[in-house]
Amino acid sequence: MKNLKFSPARLSAKVSAALVVTALVPVIVQAQTPTLSNPTVSAILDGYYQSDDRLMAERAKGFGLGETELAFSASIDDMFYGKLTTVFESHDGESEVNVEEAFIQTMALPNGFTVRAGRFLSDVGYLNNQHLHTDSFTSRPSAYRAFLGNHYYDDGLRVSYIAPTDLYWAIGAEAFSGDSLRAADEHGEREFDSTGVYTAFTKLGGDIGAESSWQLGFSYLRNENGQSTPEEHDEDEHHEEEEHAEDEHGHSHSASYTGKNTYVADFVFKWAPNGNYKYQHLTLSAEYFRVNDFMAAELHDEHEEEDHHDEEEHHDEGGKDYHQAWYVSGVYQFSPNWSAGLRYGELDAQLQHEEHFDAQELKETELSIAWHNSHFSTVRLEFSHQNNTGFENAEKDNVITLQYVMALGAHGAHQF
Amino acid sequence: MLWLWGLTVRINFKLLLSGVLLTLSQSAFAQFNIFACEPEYAALAKELAPDARIYSATTAMQDPHQVQARPSLIAKMRQADLVICAGAELEIGWLPMLQMKAANAQVRSTDKGLFFAAEHIDTLDKLANVDRSMGDVHSQGNPHLHFSPQRMLAIAKALTEKLIQLDGENSNRYQQQFETFSHRWQTATLKWQKIASSLKGMKVIAYHSSFRYLFDFAGIEQVADLEPKPGLPPTSGHLAGLLKQAKKDDVTAIVIASYQDQRGANWLAEKSNLPVMILPLSVGGNEQSSDLFSLFDNVLNLLSQTYQAQKSQIL
Repeated sequence: MKNLKFSPARLSAKVSAALVVTALVPVIVQAQTPTLSNPTVSAILDGYYQSDDRLMAERAKGFGLGETELAFSASIDDMFYGKLTTVFESHDGESEVNVEEAFIQTMALPNGFTVRAGRFLSDVGYLNNQHLHTDSFTSRPSAYRAFLGNHYYDDGLRVSYIAPTDLYWAIGAEAFSGDSLRAADEHGEREFDSTGVYTAFTKLGGDIGAESSWQLGFSYLRNENGQSTPEEHDEDEHHEEEEHAEDEHGHSHSASYTGKNTYVADFVFKWAPNGNYKYQHLTLSAEYFRVNDFMAAELHDEHEEEDHHDEEEHHDEGGKDYHQAWYVSGVYQFSPNWSAGLRYGELDAQLQHEEHFDAQELKETELSIAWHNSHFSTVRLEFSHQNNTGFENAEKDNVITLQYVMALGAHGAHQF
Repeated sequence: MLWLWGLTVRINFKLLLSGVLLTLSQSAFAQFNIFACEPEYAALAKELAPDARIYSATTAMQDPHQVQARPSLIAKMRQADLVICAGAELEIGWLPMLQMKAANAQVRSTDKGLFFAAEHIDTLDKLANVDRSMGDVHSQGNPHLHFSPQRMLAIAKALTEKLIQLDGENSNRYQQQFETFSHRWQTATLKWQKIASSLKGMKVIAYHSSFRYLFDFAGIEQVADLEPKPGLPPTSGHLAGLLKQAKKDDVTAIVIASYQDQRGANWLAEKSNLPVMILPLSVGGNEQSSDLFSLFDNVLNLLSQTYQAQKSQIL
């Protein structure tokens, strides 16, 4: 489990929601120019009804709260900018308070360098550095749910650089504690590296005429704690773990599949008539993830190892020695009030099951239709159809989700 | 093994860092780089700093409220020596993101290379209390201020001071450019005032408060707005309400800006027999508006023609 919860907050959902609202009201009224004494305050309200559970998804069946966040940000002085984002989530009547972002960032380093430290969203892939409430679908693609625990935020350090060229070119590297991307450790005996995850990424981008823009990115994630290691087994303890895993179903922030080396390629293309985003615009995006080396070399011969754990995976001599996932998505805004999106994604993973190794496959298609009363309020209806093989919990094939996402307070500037 | 790998990463990173720093220290910007948020400020910069490399983030066909903080803009801002924007929160949905991503300390603060036009003039329609239920309004007043000749002159003066502050070597040149511009602008303003005086009392229905300063300058009254609330698109219910007003008042025309959706305006025009005028929001909004002077000429002429036509119909 994640060590991020500072949850004395086993509060009821109602209590914490009430606390948020009362805490917010006086602050929002005065939120204008972001200064330290008067920071930018924004809150996101996200609630939903979902007809069924989805594999590895954060949202559980029934009514629930999605990522309900409260964020404060301001320039601290001429050198530093700071942001704090707390996220309230409710699952099965229990509330969690997570700190999703708590970082400082340099604002005045010369020559295009930026350093960010603290807890923040990793810049790997396209979607990961975007907040969930800006998504056009109710859940992240299976690639994110499987390999990054929905979205990967962690404690660490980033150094990035942007080149002084007309073609947008940025590069960066990050180091993280990597707790949420650790391979499963049933006995709590494994000595993990305290700095487990290193990433490197590059992004390129530009415009095509006045109407179209694009961005292409490549990322590499090195996870020192991502490989499974051979371990002795105690059946009783194992079963406890399994129950625990079941218990956490639906809202674990940990990655379901980990490996030593992860490679990501992402591409985004946006278009608007005359480049005017007010009325109509189109966003096409695609990402590909490949996770290699998920099992330590010494495990190849450990066939006697039995492991029912859902989040543990080993491969067979004859099976694939990698996981991969990809998706393509298209979202079109017809008018300021209506938009629709279509997404298709596949996940191809390997799971050890009893004494053999099973290929797992998940295919998902999502159709979402959203109504925007203004720039700040969205009501979304999503139909998702999934097809899986090799997963233990057979989930329903079709899931309907009705969701609202609304923003209070300051205008949040969105990323491309 | 693991610590060894960690070590190599650290070493490689240092190498990379020093390598990049080295290449950068050698490259100097040959030309003064200006990033304008809107085309009117790119046009003003062209008058005052014709030798600079000027880039406009938006065109007159785009809503300046809703701009993507896209890679090309980040790349341009990264290289900018001066960023000129309207301010008064017009760019609040995208400028902060660009500043953050561009990592260019030079253009982060108005003490240095950031220039907000609205800070140098008095805006209209300042609001003491702003509430989202009022729509997408700005407490610091209406930011579409470039259609005020007097204010643009004050902005030009302040911008010249900013150029001199940042690029002192060319201060004489900037001073000369400003004097030339100022003279031409004041001469043109006299001409525009003459046309404006003939427009006094004209009533229009317009879309958003895009032409607030133009109407203020010309004494034109915007009797209604196609938007039910600022930032929200016209609804059929709201348009039906406007239809009554369009018939009741002696409204001359429905005025929309070059980037705005024409459907609501066209519907209302058809029902009420009023003409729809598409005015260029800024330089480049139509063929005739190639710089600030021709933009004012064009907009005032279009309004004047329509108003005279209506008057002669009545007679």
